[in-house]
Amino acid sequence: MKTILLVDDSATILLSISNILTKAGYAVEKAANANEGLNKFKTGLKVDLLITDLNMPGMNGIEFIKEVRKLPNYKFMPILFLTTESQQSKKMEAKAAGASGWLVKPATADELINTIKLVVR
Amino acid sequence: MDEIYGVFAQESRENLTEMEAGLLRMEQGDHDAETINAIFRAAHTIKGGSGVVELHHVEKFTHTLENLLDKLRNGEIEVSSDLITALLKGCDHLNALLVLVEAGNLEPDPVLDEAGVGVAEMLKTFVGGSGSSSDAPKSQKLTETPGGEVHRDGTNVATGDCWHISVRFHEHVLTMGMDPLAFLRYLLNLGEIAHMATVADKMPPADEMNPEACYLGFEISLRSHATKEAIEDVFKFCRDDCDLHILPPNSKLEDYLHLIESLPEESLRLGEILVRSGALTKEELDEGLRRQNAASRLSVGTDIPAPQLGEILVDKKMVQPEIVEAAAAKQKQVAEKKTAEARLIRVQADKLDQLIDLVGELVIAGASANLLAQKSGQGTLVEATSVLSRLVENIRDSALQLRMVQIGETFNKFNRVVRDVSKELGKDIDLIISGAETELDKSVVEKIGDPLMHLVRNALDHGIEPAEVRAANGKPVKGRVELNAFHDSGSIVIEVVDDGGGLKADKIQAKAIEKGIIQPGQTLSEQEIVNLIFEAGFSTMEKVSNLSGRGVGMDVVRRNIQALRGQVDVKTEVGVGSRFVIRLPLTLAIIDGFLTSVGDYSYVIPLDSVVECLELRDDATRGHMLNLRGEVLPFIRLREFFDVEGAPPTRENVVVISAAGRKAGIVVDQLLGEFQTVIKPLGSLFKHLRGIGGSTILGSGEVALILDVQALTQLASQTEERRHPIAHGAPALEAR
Repeated sequence: MKTILLVDDSATILLSISNILTKAGYAVEKAANANEGLNKFKTGLKVDLLITDLNMPGMNGIEFIKEVRKLPNYKFMPILFLTTESQQSKKMEAKAAGASGWLVKPATADELINTIKLVVR
Repeated sequence: MDEIYGVFAQESRENLTEMEAGLLRMEQGDHDAETINAIFRAAHTIKGGSGVVELHHVEKFTHTLENLLDKLRNGEIEVSSDLITALLKGCDHLNALLVLVEAGNLEPDPVLDEAGVGVAEMLKTFVGGSGSSSDAPKSQKLTETPGGEVHRDGTNVATGDCWHISVRFHEHVLTMGMDPLAFLRYLLNLGEIAHMATVADKMPPADEMNPEACYLGFEISLRSHATKEAIEDVFKFCRDDCDLHILPPNSKLEDYLHLIESLPEESLRLGEILVRSGALTKEELDEGLRRQNAASRLSVGTDIPAPQLGEILVDKKMVQPEIVEAAAAKQKQVAEKKTAEARLIRVQADKLDQLIDLVGELVIAGASANLLAQKSGQGTLVEATSVLSRLVENIRDSALQLRMVQIGETFNKFNRVVRDVSKELGKDIDLIISGAETELDKSVVEKIGDPLMHLVRNALDHGIEPAEVRAANGKPVKGRVELNAFHDSGSIVIEVVDDGGGLKADKIQAKAIEKGIIQPGQTLSEQEIVNLIFEAGFSTMEKVSNLSGRGVGMDVVRRNIQALRGQVDVKTEVGVGSRFVIRLPLTLAIIDGFLTSVGDYSYVIPLDSVVECLELRDDATRGHMLNLRGEVLPFIRLREFFDVEGAPPTRENVVVISAAGRKAGIVVDQLLGEFQTVIKPLGSLFKHLRGIGGSTILGSGEVALILDVQALTQLASQTEERRHPIAHGAPALEAR
């Protein structure tokens, strides 16, 4: 089973997305902020995909991604960030930081799963 | 009815006509992809339209039809006569649905819908038929290659009708967390990978290789109905991290070409046309434009012309050259059409009628001015009015020309009739149309449909013999019915020709005697006998099929044509075929007349029915007959007939008229000569008057009555018959 780490400061988003992912057959790990996420990685958790919010209190999504890419075992892990349509410039910034792609909020369950399938084998 | 429904109904009707025409062409062996595509597109448009105007029952039915056509288009099912028949039935049902819509009835009709379910079921049986391609072996699917390994095929040849995707990943994609295989796998959601070749040209020797870099590229043949947009979307995350070229399959290529062709007629830029047709994605266009900008910046100040967008797109393999050419052609066509459209104006028919009326008045007023000028004797005035009347004549001719329409549309209806009827009768019959471009008055065109229909049905039913009879007589088994139209000396001629058995004079004669139409022993020429079929209550076919026996005989055909001031004749040869010739005036509004007078009153006889004029000599008459060079000619004295007061002049004249093969004499006081006249209908009060067909106004302002030649010849013969009931056939008086 593929494991997805979901990082978002909104409990609603964490819950709704993890519900969709669980239903689609993924194992979901949740973290409420970047630090919590980094800690999960540091325990050596096997993660097949990281989905992270961009605007988070504390360490923001871009910094978080940069940190993750620095970790030895997560160089090739796909990373999707959550964004809204308007943040076109953010997309470029996040890609430069090492993100693989993006998820546009709000997305239907199908769109979400389809996008995940694009990057997870 | 809401305007939108009207527009929908009209558009759908046009599409329906196109579908029918296409299906008929297909049945005749035209399996051209374009024909099938056109039929499909027409159905598709109707479906789309009905969805938009929320006529969901129409949409639902059309969907079934479209489904079947799609399979046909993709070659999943074969064309067969049964299939065409089923599709035509579908068209018929659609037509019935449209009739309801046109009547303003937007709710589904339960009875009709039940019928529709039956038709839809029938259509569905064809879909199930041989549509096995979806169950085709999936061995080539990537999912079955173990461990996600990509098998290198070594060929770049796309098999079948596939999208060609060429992708070269940049070396850093892996470190972006992107997995090329994930994209490839995702493509399977869109379709089937028919072929895939891995391109590893960039792969360096092993010791130089960076294990974290991606050196691979892929050439993929994807069998899919997805749009270019959707395929490009798969690569959206690595769009900037790879070189991607997506080329459409050949069939898609045609689709694009058609789409480009069918884009609305508005001025668009080349790029917009390509994006609208789906041949180019917005991203590709943006990139192309970027490159064009860069290139034009470079070429500033040099002699090298800046490259065209089309050239760049083709060069970068974003679209095929054919598509760019088509789009450029479309651009040009739109520009040309714009100018052509400016030359066409739609006018309401009643406005035209009003114009014709006014021109009629002008003709009369012109004649009156002419008359007065001549009376005044002033040379210059006469000259001026004659110039004026020449101009009026020109205006009249141009005005009448406005009402002229081509007969082609009326003729084309018969393709379907011939097909259906010949099928019903089990005969194989070709319809050949010539002169479809011949023009005649709109009002005539509208009224000629029914008589023509009857003649064509007759030709199919009674004319063309069954195949075995034809074979036995050494004729080609396939029967042939022709519809011809042409102009002939101021009238239009429409012919219905068949190469059937012809009319058998002896049979007709026997039947006519049995029906009491003629007396036994009456001597008639062969042509006269054949013409008996136009008499009321005549049918020679012993076996009445469901085509004949509709209660409409040839007499009605003749009457309808005569009502248009036309005539119908038949020429026939036993074993060779028959030719029905309908001769119609070019227009109903203005005729050439022959002006006569009785006492103070003027009468106009339509010139085309006048045979000759002669002096009435008392010694050549007996009762109401006169001796015309040995021929017996019944005549009517208009003075008696219309109760004109006053004594006849010493010299009276006879105008010999002929209508429907019968001749009669009309006795008038004076012959005033040819006269072009505008027909004014009689008021309803005078409609029942016998012998008068209309009225006109003379230059002097007087009213002249236009004689109904048809009725007068009949009256003359009847008067004669009443007086001499046994005189039939035998000369009643000797030539003196």
